[in-house]
Formats: sequence, C-alpha cells, structure tokens
Amino acid sequence: MDTGFKPLGREKITLWLMLAPTLIGLLFGVLGSILATVALSFTHWDLLTPPRWANFDNYIALFNDEKLWEALTNTFKFSLLYVPAVVVISMFVAVLLNRKIRGVTIFRTIYFLPVVTSAVATALVWNMIYGKDTGILNFIIEKLGGQPVCWLCTDKVLIALIIVNVWGAIGEGMIIFLAGLTAVPREYYEASELDGAGGGSKFFKITLPLVTPSIFFMTLIVTINAFQAYDYIYMLTRRGHGDSSFPVVVYSIYRNAWSFFNYGGASAQAIELALFVIILMGIYLWMERRYVVYD
Amino acid sequence: MRKLMFSVAMVTILLLSACGGAKPAGTGGTEPVTITFSAWGAPEELAVWKQIVSDFEAANPGIKVNVEVSDWDAYWDKLKTQLAANTPPDVFAMDAPLFLDYQTRGVLANLQPYIDKNPDMLKDVYPQTLEAYKTAEGYYGLPRDFQTIVLFYNKDMFDAAGVSYPTADWTWDDLRAAAKKLTLDTNGDGKIEQYGFVFDQWDMEPGWSEALWSQGGDIISADHTKTLVGEPASRKGWQTLYDMVFVDKSSPDANTIGQYGLDLFQAKIAAMTPLGHWAVPGYDGAGFAYDAAPMPAGDAGHATSVNSAGFVVANASKNQEAAFEFIKFVMSEPGQKRLTELGFAIPVLKSVAESPVFLEQKNSKLNQQVFLDSLAFSRMKPVFKGYDEWAAVIGDGMGAVWRGEAGLDETLNQIVPQADEVLAKNK
Repeated sequence: MDTGFKPLGREKITLWLMLAPTLIGLLFGVLGSILATVALSFTHWDLLTPPRWANFDNYIALFNDEKLWEALTNTFKFSLLYVPAVVVISMFVAVLLNRKIRGVTIFRTIYFLPVVTSAVATALVWNMIYGKDTGILNFIIEKLGGQPVCWLCTDKVLIALIIVNVWGAIGEGMIIFLAGLTAVPREYYEASELDGAGGGSKFFKITLPLVTPSIFFMTLIVTINAFQAYDYIYMLTRRGHGDSSFPVVVYSIYRNAWSFFNYGGASAQAIELALFVIILMGIYLWMERRYVVYD
Repeated sequence: MRKLMFSVAMVTILLLSACGGAKPAGTGGTEPVTITFSAWGAPEELAVWKQIVSDFEAANPGIKVNVEVSDWDAYWDKLKTQLAANTPPDVFAMDAPLFLDYQTRGVLANLQPYIDKNPDMLKDVYPQTLEAYKTAEGYYGLPRDFQTIVLFYNKDMFDAAGVSYPTADWTWDDLRAAAKKLTLDTNGDGKIEQYGFVFDQWDMEPGWSEALWSQGGDIISADHTKTLVGEPASRKGWQTLYDMVFVDKSSPDANTIGQYGLDLFQAKIAAMTPLGHWAVPGYDGAGFAYDAAPMPAGDAGHATSVNSAGFVVANASKNQEAAFEFIKFVMSEPGQKRLTELGFAIPVLKSVAESPVFLEQKNSKLNQQVFLDSLAFSRMKPVFKGYDEWAAVIGDGMGAVWRGEAGLDETLNQIVPQADEVLAKNK
C-alpha cells in the first residue's frame, strides 16, 4: 500500500510550510486542550477562582457518581446499537447507489443532506414527528388504528434516538463506502459472473472482503462519534432546567462544568470517556490485523 | 494648543478630586464612558432595553451603554467565560437564586458604597425583593423586577364545568376538589383530554415550593446546611401533589407533560396552573378568558414564592460608578415604568407597582392586584451557593416520581442525603 511520494530537499521545506497552519492549530488547539484537560482533572476549579490541587479526588468521585454511571450506561447502550446500525445501513445504501440507475445523484444528495443540515433544526423537526398527541408518527399510527406511543419516554427513548442519529449519520458513511466500492475492480465481478455467481455471492465473496478497509475505518469513526453524540440527544430529550430523559456522558460533562461550577470533575469525566475510546481503538486495531484485507 | 492642554489638565484634576481619589485611572478627559450591559431575554426584551438605554443616555450624556441580550442558556455560558477571561460586561443581569454562586467567588462588586451615597434610592423598593442580594458587607446586587406565584385559572373551563372560580379563601383541598371536576374525558375514549391542574414538576418556584410551605414544610435550613424537603410537614405538601397526579389523575404525569413541549395551561389542556407574571403576555394572546387568584392555603396558611431578577456589577469593571448609575436609572420611576410596559414582570418600585402603569396594563384584563397582595404571605425562593447542582438533585430525582417510576417516600429518603452532600460541598 506504500504509494506515497518521498519528499526530498527543498520539497521538504515546502511541505512543512504548507502543513504548518494545520499543525500549529492542532498543536495549540487540540494538544493544548488535551493537556489542559488532563491538568484540570487533577484540580478543583470553578472557573472563577484559581484552581486548587485535588490529587485524585475527581477520579475517585467518578466511582461514586450515580448520575455518571447512568450516563455511562446510556452511552454504552447507545453505542452498541448505533455503531453496527450506521455501518450496516450506510454500506447497504452505498451498494444500492453504486450502480447506474436513473437519478442516482439525487438519491445520493438526499442521503447526504442530513449531514450538512443543522442538527438543532432537524432535531426540532424530529420533535414534531415524535410528539405523543401532536406528533406526525402517532397521527399515522392512530389513523391505522393503533394506540399512540410516547416515543421520547423512558422505555422508548433509546430506539427513538437511535433512529434519528443513524438517519443523521448514514450520509457520511455512504460517501466512505462509495469511495471504497469504486476501488473494487470491475473485472472481479465480470470474472465471477462468467463462473455463474449470483448477486448474493458476489456481495459476500467479492464486495465484502474488499471493502473491509472501509468497514474498519467506518467502525472507528462511528465509534468515536457514538461516544461524543450529543446534539440530537440533547435537543430531543432535554426536559428543561438541564435535565434529560437520556443523559449521556458528554451531557454529564457539560452539565458538571457549566451548571455545577465543577470543571475539575468534568475534566476527569472527559478523560474517562477518552480512555474508553482509546481502549476500544486498541481492540479495533488488533482486529484490523486479523480481519482487514488490504489487497 | 497650550490653552487646550491646560484645560484638559484642569478637567482631569477636577474629575480626580470629584472621585475622591478612589479610582484615579480611566477618568481623564471628557470622553464619554462606555459600559456594557448584558442580560438574558427574548428579542422583544432587547427592544425595551434599547429604549431604556436611550432614555438613560439622554439623562446621562457622559455614559454610553452597549446592550447585549442572549437566550437564557447562552447568557450564562458566555458570562462565565467572560468572567474567567476577566472581560465581563460592566453590569449584568442576575437571577436571585444563583446570586451567591457568583458573589462568594469574588467576581461581583460591592454596591454598598454607591448605595450609601444615594440613601433614598431603596426607600420605595419592596423589601422582599432586596433580601436575596444582601450580604454581611452590604448589597452586591439590586433587583430590577420580581415575580410572585399566583394561581392562574381558565374561566372558560370553569364556566363550562359549572365550578366556581378560585377565591382568596381556597385551601389545597378546595383546589383538589375543583381540579377533579375540571378533569374531563370529553370524547369518552377513556383518555383524559382536559386536566384540572398542572404544575412545574422540576422547578420549585412555579411548582412545589408553595405546596410545601403552605403545609408548614420548608426547602432548606436558614444556614444552608440542611435540606428540608423530606421533613414530615414538607411531605404533606408533596403528598397533595402526588395524589393529584396518581390518585385523582387531575394533573398529568411527567410523560404526559413531556409530549406537549409547551405550557399546558396556554394550550388549553389544563384548567389551573401556578405561575408568575412572566406568563401573562403569552396568555393574553392565547384567546381564552382567564384570571388569577392567590395560591391556596394549607395547614400553615397561605404561602407563595417571591423571586427577583436583578443587576450586579463586575468586580473587574473599570467603570463601576457608571454601571451603578445605570442600575439606579432602571430602578428609578422612568426606568421601572418602561420595564413594566414589557408586561413580563412586576416593578420593584412600590410607586410604579401600585400605579395604573402596572395595575391597569392596556393589553391585559387580568387582576394584577393579586400579584402584589401575594407579597403578604410570600417566601423568598432560596438563595444559596450550589443552587443549580442542589436543584438538579431534587428536580431530577423527583422526575422518577412524576414519571411514575418510583415512590414518593423512598425517593425523598434517597435524594435528601444527596442534596445535603451538595450543600456540604459548597460550604
């Protein structure tokens, strides 16, 4: 796979110069924030008075915070459903749209539209769909003779949120899979057709193995997104006064910092969340070596 | 040129001596001072603030005011960032319950020295609205308007059900009985279309503090160390609300409320609701006949909540004196009159509240007097450090009860110690 070019001499200088704006931004913006978060997680800080050293207080507090446990459980439940759903559905959509059909560009655009639309605006629309007595979904259910369902209540909220979040994410996944699919050489399909392979076996024997790099990449990105999912969840489940019927970890971080003057504790929660993601990435990378096919 | 230099120097000296040498920097020259005023509010409030500012600038040619109005959430996030960066607005709006969270962290200026120079300015202000901002060293904030909670009722629904309107003699039992009669399944499908009563199940102010206080219960101890919402008398207040939701079913549970996403009284789904004056402009435009009565009495008599929105001056402000002038103007008769025209709140100045400006607002047929009469038995919405976190423990915890997932007593037993922990942490 090593196809990159190797810069030499003057080219190297040009290269670094061109990379500099991004690298400086990363260094101060991202790396700076990470280091600051690590440092703050060892302090008691209310933003308005100087931080006080806290040793491991904030990390010990993680284990005693019932609300955080609830949020962690929610984040894991959400991720467990969200990640496979996004990967499978966006691959399905990509396979469907990776052929010469009339209006394929329109379909691709439609699927991609949620990605470029403001989450806050679309969440408002979803609120109108999910409302119990006022919602469009229940209007249809009642017209068909069913009982109205409280979609955003405790027992249904997870599935309702998964639907919205997956809907919002398949556009991006579709693009990544389309890119992966175009890299699959046509000859493989032609050869298999000569051997009498049908649509199903072409997909499982050729397409699937050859897009494993895309699947791997998608799973990685989608997992990170799942742990950071916030905007749709907040907009659909907030109950006023900062309460939510489905608090996730990012929500807990925000609330601890901005409502409870607890920036140290919020930083420790952020680090905890990052550690979970890092562990998962480790597992993925190990699986990559075993299962991913790089031509 | 030398003449000009001379006069500039003279003016500077004059100004310096006028300040008594307290703040020699930043007052040189005749340049107008510009201060920033920041508040939460709806777009229509921005227009009123701009009007007040232009009145103020006309009366104080030496001071210019920049107004910034944001929505509630954005306001607090931005404010905290500005305070942390030491670039806060000179004067900004404060919600009384949150006051100590800022004052105890040293970011607010003591207004007492300025108040001492204007001994008459607080004479005509309702004392109940001042209490929240008082500290051992004097006032670190001043109220601009206030809210008492009253019982709004939909006259059309009462008339249709043949129930007589709430009176000043009502007890919680009367309210409960009326709510039952006003709860209707109008189309006979076994589901309730109209509820008798709805209250805020999270926030104590338009929700449950009145029920607790009127039975002799309380919220937290005076020294802010003990949560009292689980005391026996408080539980009696909770029980009334609980029974209305789960026994009488005359008040909707949290799941039912959650589907609407708006005020059930305004949506003509509930016949009564305890709320403050901020609801009036919305109700006036909702197209039904309504009025307001005092909150009902319990074992310990009538009780309602009084809360104020106020102003504070940033400790980091270089123009504290100008900032105070602005506060003084908003609290004066012309400022208070303008603010009252907005229709969201009650002026803190008695002379304005008890005048036609407030009592006979042109857009409202509402009995405004009831808001002022309620002051006679009002209790201050508690103000203490850690308010937001404490309120989250109680509000989120009770959410399980109102959703029908947990019992009342077991939940109170569980959340009171958690709430006390928050108080201990914020000591």
